[in-house]
Amino acid sequence: MPFEIGIMTFGEVTKDPVTGDLPSPRRRVRETVEQARVADQVGLDVFGVGEHHRSDFIGSAPAVLLAAAAEHTEDIKLTSAVTVLSSDDPVRVWEQFATLDLLSAGRAEIIAGRGSYTESFPLFGYDLADYADLFREKLDLLLRIREQNPLTWCGRFRAPPHEADIAPRADGETIPIWVGVGGSPASAVSTGRLGLPMALALLLGPIDFHAQTVELYREAAAEAGHDAAALPISINAHGFVGRSGRHARDTMYPYFAQGMWENNHQRGAGFTLSRPVFDAQASPGAGLLVGSAEEVAEKLLAYHELYGVKRALVQMGFGGVPQKDHLEAIERLGTEVAPIVRREVAAREGSAS
Amino acid sequence: MTAEAPRPLRVVVVNGSPNERSKTMGLVDVILENLARELPIEHSRIDVYRLGPAFTGAIEREDVPPEIEAELRRAETADLLIPAAPVFRGSYPGLFKHFFDLVDQYALANKPVLLAATGGGEHHALMLEHAMRPLFGFFQALTVPVAVFASSGDFDGTVLLNPRVHGRIEIGLKDVAGLLRDRAASQ
Repeated sequence: MPFEIGIMTFGEVTKDPVTGDLPSPRRRVRETVEQARVADQVGLDVFGVGEHHRSDFIGSAPAVLLAAAAEHTEDIKLTSAVTVLSSDDPVRVWEQFATLDLLSAGRAEIIAGRGSYTESFPLFGYDLADYADLFREKLDLLLRIREQNPLTWCGRFRAPPHEADIAPRADGETIPIWVGVGGSPASAVSTGRLGLPMALALLLGPIDFHAQTVELYREAAAEAGHDAAALPISINAHGFVGRSGRHARDTMYPYFAQGMWENNHQRGAGFTLSRPVFDAQASPGAGLLVGSAEEVAEKLLAYHELYGVKRALVQMGFGGVPQKDHLEAIERLGTEVAPIVRREVAAREGSAS
Repeated sequence: MTAEAPRPLRVVVVNGSPNERSKTMGLVDVILENLARELPIEHSRIDVYRLGPAFTGAIEREDVPPEIEAELRRAETADLLIPAAPVFRGSYPGLFKHFFDLVDQYALANKPVLLAATGGGEHHALMLEHAMRPLFGFFQALTVPVAVFASSGDFDGTVLLNPRVHGRIEIGLKDVAGLLRDRAASQ
């Protein structure tokens, strides 16, 4: 598998901290589709939409946004990032992504996750106390639906489908299903045991933050009899590609700090991510993928080296980065960063084999 | 029955978790499985949150009715005691402490005690050393050197998945396996 680079968005509807402008949801859905179109044009490999059930995001139904994106793109893979599977119906998830797969001629993918937000649980009538059991059971059902049709299956949380015809089927042989992992040892182990590809989410912290997560994942996979080295890992991280390193950090900072203020709370309230703290997170030893094309390429190669990642999804619009800046960053990621990374990874893998 | 047949080690778990589905008890399950591989055991559990108003309202040992007295006696006469609790507000839960407030001052002297706790994150781990171990220091109990802590992220539901915690349990029990066998044999 060649190294894949993509982008992801939560479809934020955030007041611009610089201009005070609050975009309308209608504008944001169009902008989201446009991000996919530009990403496809500049040769990026993956476009992802996250699922959030709040007024400050337009991403409560990622499959619908991805379907719109499918109509404006040719080659790019279209994935949820993530599907909050614990509070969804796996039959419905499959139907939507299989339909997306037909619409896009086989480009649909699913990242199944527990979700870092919990709004969807009461919304769909689920009990947060069942958090772990719901995910385990629903992931099992989703995988079984992918595997065979018609399906007979039995679980705790829903009436058992009996010889159920679940359609449509995938456009090609299958739809890739990844598992989103935030870094807890138990998620890494259970994902490894299932032999599923792992999409690692990294917010802030040292670049080697997930070293143990990856180690536990590969150990658990090997122990369960899977080819651990062949299992793909992707990293999902925040970032921004600028004209220069300085330009990237200056552009990203106010929006990222705003996004963090609204979404990352202590004592029940937002707190200011100061510029020095942000700059530290942007340094080579930390996780943020922000900088010039060369700097971002360098850091992606460091991720590849550290974790053996085969894919990186960069979230460049967090906190409501203006569309113009966002599209320019997408273009740089596709035309400047991706060629360096693909070339270097191919060279490293060529010399290793 | 021959005279040499070893009596199983009587293990009593004092459960400080209020939850029906409990990570703390998920951790204890792994401890008991490991222990059972080392030597024959029989185990029972006292759920302090299920002992009811006769327990919570008791101020002195004399106040408790016979069924609670029996539970206290069970803990006091165990061969190995496993106090296990979630971290609440920086320490063990109040009801867990209330149980031990009713335990006789010298009943646990020189008794093997294996400490276990769970918490939301690893920053809570030292509760075991800074709160729980001193409690059993008061009783002059023989606490096992390795105390076992697990974080929420180590569990899938209540099933402990992190192999590093499994490893720590194994090490902790290896340290005292010989001692526990002697205790079982000498009773």
